[in-house]
Amino acid sequence: MKDLKHLIYFERLLENADNELVEKAKADGGVCLGYTCFHIPEVLLNVGNCFSTRLRAPNTGSIDIATYYMSNYTCEFARALLERAIEGGYQYLDALIGVDACSMMNRSMEHFEILKVNEKPNFFVTHCDMPFKITDYTVEGYVRQMRVHVLDRLHETFGVDVSDEAIRKAVEEHNEVCRIMTEISEMRKADNPVITGYEFHVLNLVTYTCPKALILPYLRETLEELKKRKPDKKSPFRARVAIVGSEIDDHNLTKLIEGCGALVVSDRYCFGSKPGREVIELNDEEDVLTQICRHYMEVSECARYISDEKVMQRRETADRLAKEFKAEGIIYEQMKYCDYWGFERALVSHIMHDEYGWPVLSIDRLYNNGNSGQLRTRVQAFVESLEIKRIHKEEGIK
Amino acid sequence: MAKQKVQFPNPKFWKAKDNINWKKQGENLKEVVGIFGDMLKETDWKDVGKAFVDGIKADGERIKGEYADFMALDNKEKWDRVVNGERSLGRLYRKGAMATVRREWRGVKDTAYDFWEWARMWGMLLATFSKDLIPAMNSALWYRWMISYFCCHGFMDKNIMGLRGSNLRMSHEVTYQIFRYVAENLVFLSKADRKNGNSDELNKMLFTFDEMTMGQIAAGFPDLLSIPHQLLPMFLVSEIDQLVCIPYIDAVESYGLPSDTCPVPSSECGALVINALPDMGSCFISSSMPCDGSTMASSYFARRFPDIPVFHLCFPVRYLDDENTIQMGAEDIRACIKFIEEKTGAKWSWEHYFECMKRFNQETDLELQKWEINKSAYPQFIGPSYELFRKWNYEMDGGIDPRVLPSMQKVNKMLMKAYENKETAWPARKMRYRGIVWSCPAHYYANFSNWLANCWGIDILVEMESLNFTKHLETEDKEEALRDLARLYERMVMRRHTNGGYQNVVDECWRQVEAWNAPLVIMYQNVACKNMATVQGLLDEQGRQRGYDLIWVEHDLMDPRTVSRRTMRDKVNEYMRTVKQAEPVDPSLVEFEDEVCM
Repeated sequence: MKDLKHLIYFERLLENADNELVEKAKADGGVCLGYTCFHIPEVLLNVGNCFSTRLRAPNTGSIDIATYYMSNYTCEFARALLERAIEGGYQYLDALIGVDACSMMNRSMEHFEILKVNEKPNFFVTHCDMPFKITDYTVEGYVRQMRVHVLDRLHETFGVDVSDEAIRKAVEEHNEVCRIMTEISEMRKADNPVITGYEFHVLNLVTYTCPKALILPYLRETLEELKKRKPDKKSPFRARVAIVGSEIDDHNLTKLIEGCGALVVSDRYCFGSKPGREVIELNDEEDVLTQICRHYMEVSECARYISDEKVMQRRETADRLAKEFKAEGIIYEQMKYCDYWGFERALVSHIMHDEYGWPVLSIDRLYNNGNSGQLRTRVQAFVESLEIKRIHKEEGIK
Repeated sequence: MAKQKVQFPNPKFWKAKDNINWKKQGENLKEVVGIFGDMLKETDWKDVGKAFVDGIKADGERIKGEYADFMALDNKEKWDRVVNGERSLGRLYRKGAMATVRREWRGVKDTAYDFWEWARMWGMLLATFSKDLIPAMNSALWYRWMISYFCCHGFMDKNIMGLRGSNLRMSHEVTYQIFRYVAENLVFLSKADRKNGNSDELNKMLFTFDEMTMGQIAAGFPDLLSIPHQLLPMFLVSEIDQLVCIPYIDAVESYGLPSDTCPVPSSECGALVINALPDMGSCFISSSMPCDGSTMASSYFARRFPDIPVFHLCFPVRYLDDENTIQMGAEDIRACIKFIEEKTGAKWSWEHYFECMKRFNQETDLELQKWEINKSAYPQFIGPSYELFRKWNYEMDGGIDPRVLPSMQKVNKMLMKAYENKETAWPARKMRYRGIVWSCPAHYYANFSNWLANCWGIDILVEMESLNFTKHLETEDKEEALRDLARLYERMVMRRHTNGGYQNVVDECWRQVEAWNAPLVIMYQNVACKNMATVQGLLDEQGRQRGYDLIWVEHDLMDPRTVSRRTMRDKVNEYMRTVKQAEPVDPSLVEFEDEVCM
């Protein structure tokens, strides 16, 4: 296939957390808000003159100092962010919007405060309490947290317009990004898609890390380009897989998987598009903030939600996406030391195989895996097993 | 008017009829006999014979050595040993032995007292188990963890090693309360277990809850029996037998769970994977406490027992933001009560709840009195028995059992008398260092504080896990009572410190060091505890700035293979010798073998 016009530009944007578009938005007077977790409704960080940037630590090397503070048995993503923060890599942020959802990420953000890694006088870190299930009173609690710890703080500190009108405007812009990404994502259902998993991953990451208003023109253009793009006559991939699991902000992981011959057709992981790129439908009857909070709770696939219906939702979603996107197998992955996904992966990788009948590859991995030989070997073996299954199926062998 | 005798537990729980499926028991027995048969076949009897002979020889040499050492003492010292007991406790251990080689000599008076307590405990255990002996004994054929309970006296002995006088008496009194709870609940658990006693009658009156959930919610259900599902099979027994959790941890890791997760939920999930937990109760209350790993264990429960309805009791994590979070916690308790009512048909009784919480408030006052004494220059009630009792009383008993308050009053009476007499907690030697313990202690080394005192004279005055919620709970206003209960649950053991922000564990540590005047901190590092591991740099840095002695002791909570007891001791030995340049109080305890000792 012909290269996408802006792919190299998008890749360049992902080389630094503080990328060209972030700098431009700041120069235009934008308030830059960092966050890491899906539990924080992205749209709330794009109200008024604010813009959100989901934090990554690209090209992470040594994380020794963060390891001193947080030990070597903890999430590498959390440690990589802290290391980068201590190095001064997040000076560009105006505030960090944190959630106390997983303990390691929460501690990482607490270190931002304690070690004073950002010298701006108005810089603040806020920690929101997150519910574990969806009920009337937990929605109410969630709304209150967003009001007190996010909107009120933004208004008090930076004078941000957090009115309902401003929120609705942010939702409109957010929805346009979501519509484009959903349309692109749908193209992956084709037998021979016009976009690879890697390209989609890159595109999706820039939508999280760059200011929406500035990335939108590129997205629109890319969508049009894709509509006209011609796929290779024969797909170079040997199998199709869906990925399910914890945080992946390293597009090189998708590159590695696709390098082994497995086209990634669905991205049901934290930082992926499912969930994350669903349009938020607002009505005029109910309070807008409540609607947004409920939307995020309902679409969330985070393993932290422990109520029975959410546990089942996660399994059903994985099954549904794999079917819709014609995957032949599922890769269940987890960032090493992630407790939530550690328990979830171990159990559900069995369930998806035994009860839903999916071939499953179950892996735990480091924060940066682009060059992992071990992982490559495992994916290669998985691809071979999927091919053998396909041949057996074609030959009618049980 | 004659005082009405309190009947606790409710007699109808004992009377509930068993419904044992004998065919199923027969099949299980056949399997167990098969396993024993295989074990017998694979046993090298020459080795067994040799080990037996070696044991006799070692005993002979030990007795000879002890005799020679005793005879080498002058008359005054000999008299001291006879009256006050022995001083070289390392002698009680032998390489390869699963128990100490003999009981400790504590002097004439205290040995006699200790024997009386030993007999009293046996009496209570026999009386309790005889109330429904068959299912209780049969549990040993279903669950290997049940076998470890046969060593409970050994557990008592190791927790009171070196103790004399009032501290010995207080320790025995509280141990009795815990053991009675354990014995009664083991009988109930065996009766209710659908694999075993299969009492439908009892199961209808029984709800179980995650052992990481506090028991106070059961105070409002006087007609129901509540049992923490995994407490007896996993949590508590891992303090009795250091090796008990290993098969369960291995099972779940073979299943695919990473080995870096906390051994508490790991071993519970492992037990679920291999069907080693009882199938009982009409519903289950899971919890989101105290950490991410524990939160996730509930889906393993639901997978093993799909027919048992589950309520997920989830409290706000950022609980210091009380104004903005407390109502959500209170509403969850309200919903949980409703769930239990629906599943059991029982009705919540505010009257009974308030009665129990009034008792719990009194128990809290008694606890605070102990703290005041232990903060003084003459701490009285310290050591593993107290540490375990505090956790059990706060977390599981919670004022529900009316027999506990009089026992606590008795203990505090002894405490005050001992304080007036300026007794020392370990009369065999003087306190050299005042210390506190921070983070969670290793289950497989539950008597580590005992070793610290006996070997190096480090008196552990309090543990982090003891320092929980001490505010009186509301006992009149129902809405406020729900909020108070939520506040209590938010501050359960561990969660009080490891959740809700670093202030609760870092700043709080220094506050407690000052309050207890204890500049030596045993800083436990449970290698799998992410909540604590993520503040280790801060604790280390700030502790050094303040000039405190922080002794970092790694462990793996329930898996002694990762960090052995000996390695834990070595960390302290090294620090005491090199940094403090100290000499041990009892040199026989510096190096000894207890790799397989329960």
